[in-house]
Amino acid sequence: MSKVEVDFGLCESNGVCMGIIPEVFDLDDEDYLHVLQDEVTPDNEHQIREAVRQCPRQAIAIRDE
Amino acid sequence: MTKPKVVFSPVSQEFFENPYEIYARMRDDAPLYYDEQEDFYALTRHEDVAAAFKDHDAFSSARGCDLSMVRSGEVPQKSIIFMDPPDHRHMRSLLNKAFTPRAVQSQKETVAELIEHYLGMVDPDNFDVVQDFSGPFPVEVITRMAGVPEEFRQQVRHWIDRSLHRKPGQIDLDDDNMQANIDSGMYYYGLVVERRENPQDDMISRLIAAEIPDDHGNMRQLDDIEITGFTTLLGGAGAETVTKLVGSAVVEFARHPDQWQKLLDDRSKIPAAVEELLRYVGPVQYNVRYSVKDVEVPSGTVPAHKPVFLMGASANRDPRAFTDGETFDIDRDRTQAQNLGLGYGIHSCLGAALARMESAIALDRLLDFMPRYEVDFDGLRRVNMQNVAGYQNVPVRVLR
Repeated sequence: MSKVEVDFGLCESNGVCMGIIPEVFDLDDEDYLHVLQDEVTPDNEHQIREAVRQCPRQAIAIRDE
Repeated sequence: MTKPKVVFSPVSQEFFENPYEIYARMRDDAPLYYDEQEDFYALTRHEDVAAAFKDHDAFSSARGCDLSMVRSGEVPQKSIIFMDPPDHRHMRSLLNKAFTPRAVQSQKETVAELIEHYLGMVDPDNFDVVQDFSGPFPVEVITRMAGVPEEFRQQVRHWIDRSLHRKPGQIDLDDDNMQANIDSGMYYYGLVVERRENPQDDMISRLIAAEIPDDHGNMRQLDDIEITGFTTLLGGAGAETVTKLVGSAVVEFARHPDQWQKLLDDRSKIPAAVEELLRYVGPVQYNVRYSVKDVEVPSGTVPAHKPVFLMGASANRDPRAFTDGETFDIDRDRTQAQNLGLGYGIHSCLGAALARMESAIALDRLLDFMPRYEVDFDGLRRVNMQNVAGYQNVPVRVLR
């Protein structure tokens, strides 16, 4: 199973990921990013990979378990 | 017949006038460009540049990020852009929360007021977009955030202009560049000392109060030199860039009136237009890194211990990454490849959200102010500068 991993030391809340797939990434009112669902599934995999690529901080990764 | 070998000099008049033809030849003929005379490498294809930006371990910033600094081998002054992790992470975390998309919303009214103020003063029959508008407003925004008193804010951009100017053929700093750095450094240093005595609600005061871990894991405060350096950098990065992006925007929309019309018809396309401008005429041309070891990139091996130009402005027009990469199209598919106009990875632009907001509001007000306009193309003058490109003069007449 693959999971979404965010390096919160790198993340600067640009919100690009949330723009791509809000079901997985959410910025709260304090500007902190939350991963709402960390499992990579066939349904969300394409968009999560897009978020990984487009993150300007390179803060998102997919970890294979 | 063999083609003449492409030559890239970051300080040639040919490069200042039109970097994009040189980029296209480098991408096609010499993706792993090596300059024998000056002993540096340059990457120009998107896949190479993006890979190098990501690999901050191999492509170090700790020797500086322009050719002159990197090859001097001297340890640069402490500045966030000349740092690798973990130091970089500590410094960046001091200020990044002030620049998130949500945080910069607090600057929105100020930005709009300044834009309207400067646009309100120009003569619609004859004005210079850069000197009268896109030069003055961004520097006000960023220096105000930093804590520079109003009467000194415009001076900051003149120091930056003088500091970054390069004569054709000039790689290292000359006396005038140095003097501008000294003058601005002295000014900011005095301001930091003053703020230590008398803290305000501004970034300089917050940096004075902040703590970061030292090499032994103990917390320490920043010294006056570090704060001076950071504030100088903020002023440069936050002013120069939007100035050039907005100046180039007016030129490109004059060359592509169909694209301007799209914005007139539908203002919701402004954010997409800003992204396309960052891709097509983004002001930052390159960042120089130092290869700490032999590094594999898609086009080959960059040998150890060389200055390496990561040419983001070339990568952004690479047709291997973007369909019709040399075409200006605000409706293009932006998911094709990463736009490198604001950098990528750990050193990507700290002020990205602010830059986007300033540019978007500027475009919106320009659409109101000059739905139809013409540029005096004979009067265009480009800047000759270290790593940023754009115009110093864009003469415009509003058509009625």
